[in-house]
Amino acid sequence: MRAEGGPPASRDPWHLPGLPAAAPLRHFTGTSPGGRGFRVPALDRETARLVADEVRRSALRARRERSTERVIAAVSRAALRLADPGQPDGAAAARELSEEMGWPGSLTAETLAGMRASWTAEALAGVVRRELGGPEPLDGWTTGGVLAAPRRRRASGPPLLLVVHAGNVPGVAVTAAVRGLLVRSGVLCRAPRSEPALLARFARALSEEDSLLGHCLATTWWPEDETEPWDSWVKRSRKVVVYGGSRAVDGVRARLPAHVDLVAYGPRIGIAAILADASLPAAARALARDVCAYDQQGCVSPRLVYAVGRDGDAVGEALAEALERKTSERPPPEPDADTAVSVRSARAEAEFASLGGRPVRLLASGELPTWTVVVGGDPLITEGLPRFVRVHQVEGVRELERTLEPLEGRIQSVGYAGSTGLDDLADMAARLGACRVAPVGTLAWPPPDWLHDGRPQLLPLLAWTERE
Amino acid sequence: MTPPSRLPPAFRELAAELREAFARWDREPRPWPEARFADLALRSFELQWHTVAPYRAYCEARGASPDTVADWPDIPPVPTAAFRHVDLAVAPRAGGDLRFRTSGTTRGDGERGTHRVVDPELYRASLEATFARLVLGRPARECGPNGPLVLSLIPPFARGSDSSLAWMSDDVAAHLGRPGSRSVAPRGEPDAAEARSSILACAEGRIPVCILGTTLAVDAWTRALEAKADALELPPGSVLMDTGGAKGRPGLQREEVLARVSATLGLGAEAIVNEFGMTELLSQRYGRGSADAGASPPLVAPPWLRTRALDPVTLEPMPEGEAGILCHTDLANAGSAVSVLTEDLGRVRDGVLEWIGRAPGAPPRGCSLATAELLRAGEG
Repeated sequence: MRAEGGPPASRDPWHLPGLPAAAPLRHFTGTSPGGRGFRVPALDRETARLVADEVRRSALRARRERSTERVIAAVSRAALRLADPGQPDGAAAARELSEEMGWPGSLTAETLAGMRASWTAEALAGVVRRELGGPEPLDGWTTGGVLAAPRRRRASGPPLLLVVHAGNVPGVAVTAAVRGLLVRSGVLCRAPRSEPALLARFARALSEEDSLLGHCLATTWWPEDETEPWDSWVKRSRKVVVYGGSRAVDGVRARLPAHVDLVAYGPRIGIAAILADASLPAAARALARDVCAYDQQGCVSPRLVYAVGRDGDAVGEALAEALERKTSERPPPEPDADTAVSVRSARAEAEFASLGGRPVRLLASGELPTWTVVVGGDPLITEGLPRFVRVHQVEGVRELERTLEPLEGRIQSVGYAGSTGLDDLADMAARLGACRVAPVGTLAWPPPDWLHDGRPQLLPLLAWTERE
Repeated sequence: MTPPSRLPPAFRELAAELREAFARWDREPRPWPEARFADLALRSFELQWHTVAPYRAYCEARGASPDTVADWPDIPPVPTAAFRHVDLAVAPRAGGDLRFRTSGTTRGDGERGTHRVVDPELYRASLEATFARLVLGRPARECGPNGPLVLSLIPPFARGSDSSLAWMSDDVAAHLGRPGSRSVAPRGEPDAAEARSSILACAEGRIPVCILGTTLAVDAWTRALEAKADALELPPGSVLMDTGGAKGRPGLQREEVLARVSATLGLGAEAIVNEFGMTELLSQRYGRGSADAGASPPLVAPPWLRTRALDPVTLEPMPEGEAGILCHTDLANAGSAVSVLTEDLGRVRDGVLEWIGRAPGAPPRGCSLATAELLRAGEG
């Protein structure tokens, strides 16, 4: 039994300041490819309240006793311990990520490198500077900053911010907690069931770096249909941030009282355009890198590829070749039974549509469900399956825009290769509400200050007070 | 009815042999030697390879032909998705064909598959022998005038239906039931009053009754009986066949249905028979009694239907009794696709199937979803 502190263990992925030592632990199975089980304390109304009160009290105290600069320094040190495989926490995090996600070591190393870049003190200070003009509005009254005005203003996050992770993109949970801490909130997290360990490890590292800040963050997991700690934590939070699919977002929305704001990062889709002058083998290799990096778990990865003003079959064949090569270098984790059945089913649909005379072509990795390219068919349909890409031919950007109109406001990233018509493509992306236009090969790794779902990172969490 | 001459000679010969074999099993239900099943399955495969161009192309893409396929488990199975896109029948279309359509519920997009049956007599021979032996517990020749009164809660095929279940129910009533056997849902919904009066008349004459229905229809009917406190005592030897499980009403537990049937119709679990059938297959499995939560009772088949549980990733056979994706080899499908790969999960032990359910589809992965969900969310 452990309430706080104690040896870090991936099977105890929780950090709950203020929790009485007697809280019983419950066992759950994991949902990631590794599927390791874990234990978390059972929270009832009273214990959930105790944790929320402790986190809130600590956050308000930290506002008085810690400058934003000091918060950035401590948060960055803690986060970098996780992202550095040379440190004990980093080595453990790398091992857990590989085990939990079924990743090869190279992908884990690549992911940790991305985290390192995002979590340096310079990167975090840069986000504060770009969005607020500097830390001043977080630390006191100022007339400067991005909202420069004759009257003095200051910005604060809510005393308690509830962050709900229903996705399974590694590292996002830590980044979301970091953003909450930067706006000086106490952060209550429901960790992703697929990967609950990294956030708890971060919270413990933060406690070791700065005990007060460690009390500003709580994380655990609980079944969706349980009322606690939902009720206690939602009631005490002024904002809720949720990452996940439509069902998860709708489920959280339904729980919120009217006075609680929701910041939702819901499902979106990534697409890519191979423009007429792009070098095909290079574009295909870059696309394969994006597709294989996280097996398209993130909405930044491309699922729909459009051959703009060029032969769709040729793009499909080049992509198939690149995926075959990439898959031999970096095989995907073995799919679960449901995913394997779904891949087979989607392939069979395409193959027999083709055999039935429809203009569809299946290119796939033999019988094993490792990668799949379908050329032709409905230009908007995707399956949400790993390493599964659909390729369509369009005459130009205008036709592409008409095709994508039903997805307006639901496109995360638009990848591109080539330059012919690139400006038109970028304008199209803006009109369709896409969040990011970037070269293929970089889609799976957005920069630290990217506009996730088209939003700044800190501003949506803040409320401003003006002093006349 | 004589099979029309458009049928390939190889099929006519094979179908005649199969009909005879089905009838022999009906008279003497013995297991078949492995070699007989293998011979008939491989001949079906060879016929289909030669006559069904899309299937031949599918096989060729996998390097499979009658020259390379040495044993029946090596026959490339046709995925159920194929029925939505290509015609798999071994003969050109003709007026005597049956065209069965799938329900379109599997993928939730309403797209339906078609199974064209070129030889209804072969289908009839298979289903009657199987139903007589595995549901009624006697040979088909002892049914008919001496059989039970068959009352079907399923609308008749003649109503413009394209349901293989409706055709089968009509056929059972016409050929295995005594005169008066019929659908009691001629206008779509079962007529409870008509069913009740027929059952009471049978009870008086101690004539066994055989009720056929989807699990949902049986559930609705017995709920209505329960609500009216109108329990009927079915005569000894009566039986009820339900099919479809909770499809259309997730969460409906078979145990609940069994309990209600028992309370309202006086039937014990052994007299309640669950059918496992698919539009894509012309043979059926049947299982009696209760089951583990969410699964079917143990489902037995005639010797011309074999089911294997395969590894969903590799399609290699799973060890005996372990869950896998189901692949059926059905000799009654000699006129279309003898081997069918489903999206169902189940376990097979000693040839007996425990159907677990439809694979639920890939779980959501991260924030990257199928566009169908994005578009639905956009509409909401």
